[in-house]
Amino acid sequence: MMAVATAERVIEFRDALNEAMSEEMRKDNRVYLLGEEVAEYNGAYKVSKGMLDEFGARRVIDTPISESGFAGMAIGSAMRGLRPIVEFMSWSFSLVAADPILNNAPKMLYMSGGQFGCPIVFRGNDGAGGQLASTHSWCVESMYANVPGLKMAIPYDAYDAKGLLKTAIQDDNPVFFLESERLLSTTGHVPVEEYTIPFGQALTRRSGTDCTIISFGRPLHFCLEAADELAKEGIECEVIDGRTIRPLDIDSMVASVKKTNACVVVDQSWSFASVGSEIASQIHACCFDDLDNHVFRVHSDDVPTPYAHNLEQAYLPNSRKICEAVRQATYNA
Amino acid sequence: MPIEITMPRLSDTMEVGTILHWHVQVGDEVSSGDLLADIETDKATMELQSFDDGLVESLTVAVGEQVDVGTLIATLLEEGAAASTESSPAPEEKHEANTQPAQKPIAGGARVSPVARRLAEEHRIDLSTVQGSGPSGRIIKRDILQLVATTSETTSAAQTTQISATEVVATSAPVSPAQPVKQVQALAPTSPWQQDRTEPLSNMRQIIAKRLVESKQTIPHYQVTMDFDMDPLIEMRKTLNEQLASASVKLSVNDFLVRCCALAMSTNPAFNASFGGDCILYHGPVNVGIAIALPEERGGGLVVATIRNADQKSLRTISQESAYLSNKARETGLAPDEMGDTTFTISNLGMFGVDNFTAIINPPNSAILAVGAAIEKPVVRGGELAVGREMSATLSLDHRVIDGAMAAMYLKTLKELIENPASLLV
Repeated sequence: MMAVATAERVIEFRDALNEAMSEEMRKDNRVYLLGEEVAEYNGAYKVSKGMLDEFGARRVIDTPISESGFAGMAIGSAMRGLRPIVEFMSWSFSLVAADPILNNAPKMLYMSGGQFGCPIVFRGNDGAGGQLASTHSWCVESMYANVPGLKMAIPYDAYDAKGLLKTAIQDDNPVFFLESERLLSTTGHVPVEEYTIPFGQALTRRSGTDCTIISFGRPLHFCLEAADELAKEGIECEVIDGRTIRPLDIDSMVASVKKTNACVVVDQSWSFASVGSEIASQIHACCFDDLDNHVFRVHSDDVPTPYAHNLEQAYLPNSRKICEAVRQATYNA
Repeated sequence: MPIEITMPRLSDTMEVGTILHWHVQVGDEVSSGDLLADIETDKATMELQSFDDGLVESLTVAVGEQVDVGTLIATLLEEGAAASTESSPAPEEKHEANTQPAQKPIAGGARVSPVARRLAEEHRIDLSTVQGSGPSGRIIKRDILQLVATTSETTSAAQTTQISATEVVATSAPVSPAQPVKQVQALAPTSPWQQDRTEPLSNMRQIIAKRLVESKQTIPHYQVTMDFDMDPLIEMRKTLNEQLASASVKLSVNDFLVRCCALAMSTNPAFNASFGGDCILYHGPVNVGIAIALPEERGGGLVVATIRNADQKSLRTISQESAYLSNKARETGLAPDEMGDTTFTISNLGMFGVDNFTAIINPPNSAILAVGAAIEKPVVRGGELAVGREMSATLSLDHRVIDGAMAAMYLKTLKELIENPASLLV
């Protein structure tokens, strides 16, 4: 009975993140956490609960509300040999730190001719958290993924949250780790045994023959919901979780599209010049002779995120929009 | 009042033309002499120039579309009339309204999703036979798979005696329309090198097929053959070519035959005539056509080049024209005036070692001469057995115009000319 209980250990997404950081900090004393309210308050979203007690104020550091300052400081410490984890309460606030995190960290290794790397993890909540309105609901993936030199991971569940974050902390490059406030309380199986999930390896969340749906992070839940709905109509979708945007496992996506001949990319950022448009472009190039229709894309609507609950729900790349796109892509509209 | 531009007749055999490229767009200003379009006719690609000045109001035929001669292909607004465009419908709208044929599937031009095209190739399905069920008639994967399913269903149903009714209903009722217009070829699994394949007909192949079937079906053909002693002509050719080598004269046997046939035509007028239904049309000019095979890399096929007024031309002129036309035909293609209006045709396979053969009359000609090789063979000359060079030539004739005795008379004239070639020089 004990063995079964261990194998089926179910914990919250936020605890999985906590475990990943704590385990890596125990192994490597160069790793430390800093950000707003991460220490005394146990994290604005309780992700770092208990970490101040375990690791002390030298390694779990509360910062002022000054993203540009503490992000820049962390980058400097990374260049000098530490391995910081920077928590942004929301990725929306990281825009203040655009110069250090986008204009410096990803380019450091290149610009220093290999002398200084920047092993750092930036993590926090990305996307609409629920009635936080337009300035606090940013999806930064499309804008940030445009920069060469960085890596970007978006976990879908507790298991991936832990496995991908441990890989991120161990990586020698700046990793942008995009969580979702809406997923922090979700639970999932996370084994006690140590594991990591390599970057650049997509996972098929559902197998199907008629249409490939590609997504990352929270919208995958909408995709799986849509796939259930579409299955009732006889349309079997294959749902691919890209897991990391940089590196992008385009090979797995291409293999699936070659099988289904139809593709819908679901990306919670805005459509213009987005991760979705990049993947669609690569699919078009790699699967030209295998497509029965052009690649369809589902994004958040091309407006600032609305505050009103009903409008926000309508704005998101929800399951209704995904169903419509799949029906069109498969000529079942 | 817009100027209407119609598909011009660019050769005497042209019935349809294909727009290969529009050099102008709606709204462009054009002057007389400006290039409007490239048009593929039955045998050549021609440039269509504007005869007028004006503003392109509409292009009513899409690139790749084949239309009959006389069909409206574009309209021009006369200069000064441009102001009236404002009251008339926008050119773009007109253009759209006139290009609706693009909706119907056209072989090669049909809308096909990439994977449907690939599957059709794999299953050897002719896309022109498939009705697309996607938007704007796009042929999609489902259409091909249903076609494959129904075809293999038909095949297996024929082979299997026991098959349940529900199975048949389940597999043979397509969800959406995808009817093959023609029977799709059986999908027997064969090695790639054993598989049949289809290639759409080129314009030229279409016209050859159409005109020769028409010729063979409507003209009462018969053949008359005669052998010719070629020694004197070959000797004379050798002498002339040697003496005139410095003047770059290089006469071929065929050049002599063109002149011989032309001279024989002028004394046998029925050979320079066409059957006119209720009359016989005797042509003024003696225009001899030469059949020229085109190289494979230019799509193969053949054209007939015209030596105009061949009875009035010297051997040297005939030779120059013939060489020029053969080269041009093989390299870039002939202009319509270089290949129309023949009244008689020579088809020579002698250079390929063919002894003799028969040819199909090239309408509206009444006769065609099929020429074999000049071959060394035992001959009787003055009661003695000797080795001589002989050439066999076979006339195919339209009996409505030329009777057997007339054919014999023509060959006799030809024989006198060929075997006494001095008369060709003076």
